[in-house]
Amino acid sequence: MPANTRELRNRIRSVDSTLHLTKAMELVASSKIRKATAKMHAGREYADAVTDVINVLSGCQECQVSPYMRKGSADRIRLIVIAGDRGMAGGYNVNVFREAQKYPGAEIYAIGRKASARYGQEIRGTEHYSYEDAAELAVRFCEDYRNGLYDRLGILYTQYISMMTQEAKIRWIFPLAAPEQAPAQQVIFEPDAAKVLEETVPLYLTGILIASVRESYASEVSARSSAMNSAGRNAQKMKDDLTLAYNRARQGAITQELTEIVAGAGEG
Amino acid sequence: MAEYQLNIATPDGEFYSGPCEELIVRGTQGDLAVLAGHIPFMTALVPCAFRLWTPDGNERGGRLEGGLLTVGSRKDENQTVTVLTTHAEWQDGEKDGNE
Repeated sequence: MPANTRELRNRIRSVDSTLHLTKAMELVASSKIRKATAKMHAGREYADAVTDVINVLSGCQECQVSPYMRKGSADRIRLIVIAGDRGMAGGYNVNVFREAQKYPGAEIYAIGRKASARYGQEIRGTEHYSYEDAAELAVRFCEDYRNGLYDRLGILYTQYISMMTQEAKIRWIFPLAAPEQAPAQQVIFEPDAAKVLEETVPLYLTGILIASVRESYASEVSARSSAMNSAGRNAQKMKDDLTLAYNRARQGAITQELTEIVAGAGEG
Repeated sequence: MAEYQLNIATPDGEFYSGPCEELIVRGTQGDLAVLAGHIPFMTALVPCAFRLWTPDGNERGGRLEGGLLTVGSRKDENQTVTVLTTHAEWQDGEKDGNE
């Protein structure tokens, strides 16, 4: 058999194994989507509830002097970057890192294996990120902020818009901004609003952090599922093209052989 | 006894959502009980044991990992009391309150 067909056969085999791989990864990712989105919704609800409380508090007169609401220079940025645990998710990780590059001077805290590896930090996964991890980090970051170690805190995560669309964006946490209109409700704070605010901010950061990690994770598995789906389609198309070329080459070789035999018989 | 709607929310979802007659938790200023008709109120909670009594006469206990207690307006038909906490668990080891 000519070298050409052998080469084609090898390529078909290699594309075929890629096809198996993408199919398997797509199945794994899509089996995780349901659980990941359920967790994301739970986290979102909690984050919304605690954000409402923060809005009430930061609208209070006596909270305006809180260290969490200080305004001033904003050049020392701290960024919590949440990326994936694995690659093969289309542009998911790349989009996050591209967004992070817009803040070259920022001090980065990475969550997600890919992010940890990129910024040379201790490995922290996103799939099983626990409330203990988040609470510990939140308390530390709040203390640092009160002590003036940095001026702004943002969480870079990937917003889950739909199965097909996810967008890397930054949610700014500190300084807290007062809502545009002061809340109308009359609430009694114990012991006072400033103290309650101080106690609530770590809770707020914990909630937002967990919600962001969960949302990023849901985005990651969705991105991987659709990336693997289209990779699988491409692989299938390539395999079809190669198979066609292979059959043509094989047929061509047979025709040529036959022609040679017929020609040989004619001579004899 | 009058009742109100109690929601205990955690980042992992709703821990408890249902009617309640009395809730006892520990705030930064000490233990406090919430009955129906409580004045609108907000305070931070420290990690503590909590107890609640449901209208069907059950008493349940558990632990909260600190958090925030909000008592909603009592003018509403259904007064709502919300506890936001990073983590909560029942004393008897059940994870879910809606069994």
